[in-house]
Amino acid sequence: MSWHRSMAIAERVVRQVLRDRRSLGLILVAPLLVMALVGGSFSGQSVVLDRTAPALIATFAMFFTFMLTGVSFLRERSQGTLERLVTTPVSRADILVGYLLGFLLFALVQSTIVLLYTVLVLDVAYQGDLLQVFVLLMVLTIASISTGIFVATFARNEFQVVQFIPVVLAPQVFVSGIMVPVETMPTVLRLLANVVPLRYAVDGMRAIMLQGLGLGDVITELAALAIFAAVMLVAAAFTVRRT
Amino acid sequence: MASMESGVPAVDVADLSFSYGDREVLKGLSIQVGRGTIYGLLGANGSGKTTFIRVLVGLMKPGSGSVKVLGEDPSPKLTEHVGYMPQLNALYQELTVRNNVDFFARMYGMNDRRKRKTAVDEAISVVGLSDRAGDGIQSLSGGMRQRVSLAIALVHSPSLLLLDEPTVGLDPELRAAFWDHFRQLASAGTTILISSHTMDDAAHCDRLAFLQTGKIIAQDSPAELRKATGQPDSTLEDAFLYFVRKGRDNVLA
Repeated sequence: MSWHRSMAIAERVVRQVLRDRRSLGLILVAPLLVMALVGGSFSGQSVVLDRTAPALIATFAMFFTFMLTGVSFLRERSQGTLERLVTTPVSRADILVGYLLGFLLFALVQSTIVLLYTVLVLDVAYQGDLLQVFVLLMVLTIASISTGIFVATFARNEFQVVQFIPVVLAPQVFVSGIMVPVETMPTVLRLLANVVPLRYAVDGMRAIMLQGLGLGDVITELAALAIFAAVMLVAAAFTVRRT
Repeated sequence: MASMESGVPAVDVADLSFSYGDREVLKGLSIQVGRGTIYGLLGANGSGKTTFIRVLVGLMKPGSGSVKVLGEDPSPKLTEHVGYMPQLNALYQELTVRNNVDFFARMYGMNDRRKRKTAVDEAISVVGLSDRAGDGIQSLSGGMRQRVSLAIALVHSPSLLLLDEPTVGLDPELRAAFWDHFRQLASAGTTILISSHTMDDAAHCDRLAFLQTGKIIAQDSPAELRKATGQPDSTLEDAFLYFVRKGRDNVLA
């Protein structure tokens, strides 16, 4: 693996998003709008808002990195740049690490903005350590970026990437305990909840942000997320050079 | 390590066949390209030129036959010695001309910032886009994009250039400038394999292979190919048609 090549890919990914105003708006403004709506609809119900806000921060991080990576990688393939890229000495690891670094940056910026809005404007009872929140989100984002790269292999156009949302993301939102506690769900859904990464991210975020626990206290959630991230990284590595 | 010995052909292909499913696209091709020469693959659309170049660059595995590029089987480690210009422009639309060329220079392992800048400037200058280096790809014409694509193939000074229809969409003046540069590169030892469907390009090559439906119907120097028609004033187009008809007559016979 070449660190130089990975950095060049990361820089390029960042540059591409920065020059694409709509994507930039999608990353930075859209989550704020949703949070504002959530804040408005839960006004006067601070307990519900406190439980929902950390879960939504994790959901946004996963959703936007999945979408952006999926579409970016699809473009890389459809514009022919991936074909050109694989005729250079670049390795699978170079490409994966480059994409991870580039999109992790946006995920962190987005999470910081949403977090600040949640705490300062929506006044969510926040107790945890920001750094620990970021570590948890970072592992979730690695899983999400890898999933985006993997899924892009099976899409022929951007419309098809969007069609993966109901398959890959929506079920996670419903079974992760964001709206209804996992414990109250039917057995089948509880079992499903055990195998989706968002559930562990939501539990971990709530534990850190609301209860003020540390990463050591959410080691199970962190380990589960790391396993998902590792599995999806391997899956992405298998497909990343496929033109 | 890729062989840089002048005795080893830059491209040595023997009896190469390749199929997409049941459709045979390359049928027993044998080609040798000597170092420092310009070799042209000439044929109509769908004759197998692009597939042949994609096999050489390692994007496709040959169905059968032997393929040696710079003395080795096509592989990722060979790519730093090979410059590839695909038929599709394959550029990052959101980035500038300089960003694109610089990015691929970094992919080719040009890590020294100062040397890379010199090489990027030179490649952009060769294709006549110095004054547009800071412009986004989306603001360029089709011909200009083609030139950026060529600059990327040239930036790391490869010993073998594989160019898939590099002159499509270029005006005559620029086409002539490209060929002057290709000749300079070949004189300095770079081997160039170029695909085209125009006879104008063919005339500039040291050797030519005429391709038709995945088969080589003739290969030699342009002068010899013209001579083979038996007409003293024949053009390369006449020669191409002569071999196409000859092949058809042989099949009918």
